[in-house]
Amino acid sequence: MFSVEDKREFYAGALLQFLVLAHWLGAFYYAPVDIHQGQVYRIMFLHVPCAITAFASSLGLCIFSIIGLRQRSESVMAWAKATAEVGLLFTILTLATGSIWGRPTWGTWWTWDARLTTTFLLALLYAGYLLLHASMPAGPGRVRVCAVLGILIFADVPVIYKSVTWWRTLHQPPSIIREGGSTMDPEILWTIVVGIVIMCLYSSWMVRVRGRNILLTGQLEAASFEQLNG
Amino acid sequence: MLAITNLSFSFQHRRLFDRLSLTANSGELIHISGPNGVGKSTFMAVVAGLLAPASGDIEYRIGHQSVPDRRAYLEYLPAEANGLYIKMDATQNLLFWAHLRGVPLSREAAFAALDPWNLNHPLLRDGFPVEKFSTGMKRRLALARLDLSPVPGWLLDEPLYGLDADAMRVFRQRLETHLRKGGFALLISHDLAPLNGLITRTINLSRGVKHDG
Amino acid sequence: MMANAWQQYRALVSQGVRAELADLERLVSPVLFAITLLLLFAFAMGDVDDSLRIRVYLAETMLTALFALQVSFARLFEPDRQDRVFDLLRTYPVSHTALFLAKYSLILILGTATMIPTLVFGAFLNQTANQHLFSWSVVGISLLALAGLGALGVLLSAMTLKANARQILYPLLYFPLTAPVLLAAVQSSRLCLDGGRAASDIKAWLGLLLGFDCIYVTLGILLFTELVDES
Repeated sequence: MFSVEDKREFYAGALLQFLVLAHWLGAFYYAPVDIHQGQVYRIMFLHVPCAITAFASSLGLCIFSIIGLRQRSESVMAWAKATAEVGLLFTILTLATGSIWGRPTWGTWWTWDARLTTTFLLALLYAGYLLLHASMPAGPGRVRVCAVLGILIFADVPVIYKSVTWWRTLHQPPSIIREGGSTMDPEILWTIVVGIVIMCLYSSWMVRVRGRNILLTGQLEAASFEQLNG
Repeated sequence: MLAITNLSFSFQHRRLFDRLSLTANSGELIHISGPNGVGKSTFMAVVAGLLAPASGDIEYRIGHQSVPDRRAYLEYLPAEANGLYIKMDATQNLLFWAHLRGVPLSREAAFAALDPWNLNHPLLRDGFPVEKFSTGMKRRLALARLDLSPVPGWLLDEPLYGLDADAMRVFRQRLETHLRKGGFALLISHDLAPLNGLITRTINLSRGVKHDG
Repeated sequence: MMANAWQQYRALVSQGVRAELADLERLVSPVLFAITLLLLFAFAMGDVDDSLRIRVYLAETMLTALFALQVSFARLFEPDRQDRVFDLLRTYPVSHTALFLAKYSLILILGTATMIPTLVFGAFLNQTANQHLFSWSVVGISLLALAGLGALGVLLSAMTLKANARQILYPLLYFPLTAPVLLAAVQSSRLCLDGGRAASDIKAWLGLLLGFDCIYVTLGILLFTELVDES
């Protein structure tokens, strides 16, 4: 009943899900306790991979957008849309995990840290992208417009980040991540790196599934139109 | 000459025309016919450069040389719109579109161009925004712009829409002159009586297949 | 027959200016809107400590200018949307760069005509005997910000031309994208008004503004071509 490709996709997803959970559990038991922050800091093992993924999604969005623009291809833009959706998901996760960390650590649910603020703006941009996509009828016009927005979003992220960093250096707020790898325990560093890799793979899998889903929906639409027109 | 080769276009998964080929030479008036909704206006829009075809080529050739941008040799008149800035007056509109093509039109020349279309009245041509024009007046202004345009190819989608008998006569004269001077035109029109005798060829777009008429 | 890009640019700009002058409402409403907003802000803020006055002035005025600019930017292509003018423009051999630069020039003119009254009126409303808030450096910084905001504005205006709900979409996309500009403008203006110290900080912010401007004017021209071109 299921094609070979579908089965492979399912098992790949199951494996990656398992890895995510395994990494999370491993982070609890393997990584040492932090002197300053106790157990709470462990949320960083989720937070950082989510953040990296959220930002990497903007790169993916840009690449798909450039290709989609060059080829004027709706199918490539389906991948772009999937990337934007996954990006939105991970920006929200990043903000949530950042909040969860902030509360016991600094006493606040929110801090105007450069990374969090940029992530917030990025979430708004992803949401805006999806809204723009929804507000236009399918066709070459939408391909071009969404592709341009995808490129703009990626171009803006470094500028936003830089400007917020400068803004916050005036006030020296607490940083979510301690700067300087040398002060970070190698065990912690490696756990984070492994987490980042796993999360990137996981999100790529999500993009693939969602992208195929969107393409399939498009094909179904085409088939139904053909039925209508005889 | 305008050379259209194997033109195909789809709109929302529906193939409107498929592998359509046609050439238009100097002096030809080609009538594009077909029932409502078959895709005549869409075809015209594709030729004008508003829509990209799914496949096929549209070239404007001088001798054997294909020009880089065929839009410099074509003037498009849409069916249910006139492409006029409604807040500007008639003269400003004519001047703008002419200058956009690089035609150094002067105000006096613009007035002269409005004359045959009965728009040269001092109260109409200047300071009177186009949004206050009647349907027929707007169409006549659009035709005046068309006539002023130095291009050889006219793409006419329902040019007679909203015109009275006088205006139709004027249009027929200008079209005749245009064809005589070596221009050509593609025409969509429900009403063919005023253009009797000018049409050199008819192409029927029924079911996306070209039938030479 | 084809005009060169400069002739087309001139024709497009003069048409744009004429459209603005013909319909005076288009020029006046952003300014009126700005003045109304400034009043609203004043009511919402109430009495402000002298120490905070500069911050409040800059926050109110910059935000008001941004919102008022929205009104102009989103309506940039309005004359072209009527009677399928924009479609006809696309059937003419118009250089896309000329079209972008023409719209951009128009925005710079309109933006300046909106921003300067806003800055002046904002200073007027918020001043005290001790603090005169109007400063030409702030005007300069605002114009620098306008250069980048304008390029993005033209691009976004063209993008949302055919979208439904464009009135909400435009600001929704515009504000996050231009957040760095607001930051840079407010921070550098504050440093200027606070008394000319920390020149290197001001330079850093101005550098950011300039960088933003360059990126977005370039991207604007490149991407605008892609948007308008049908082939």
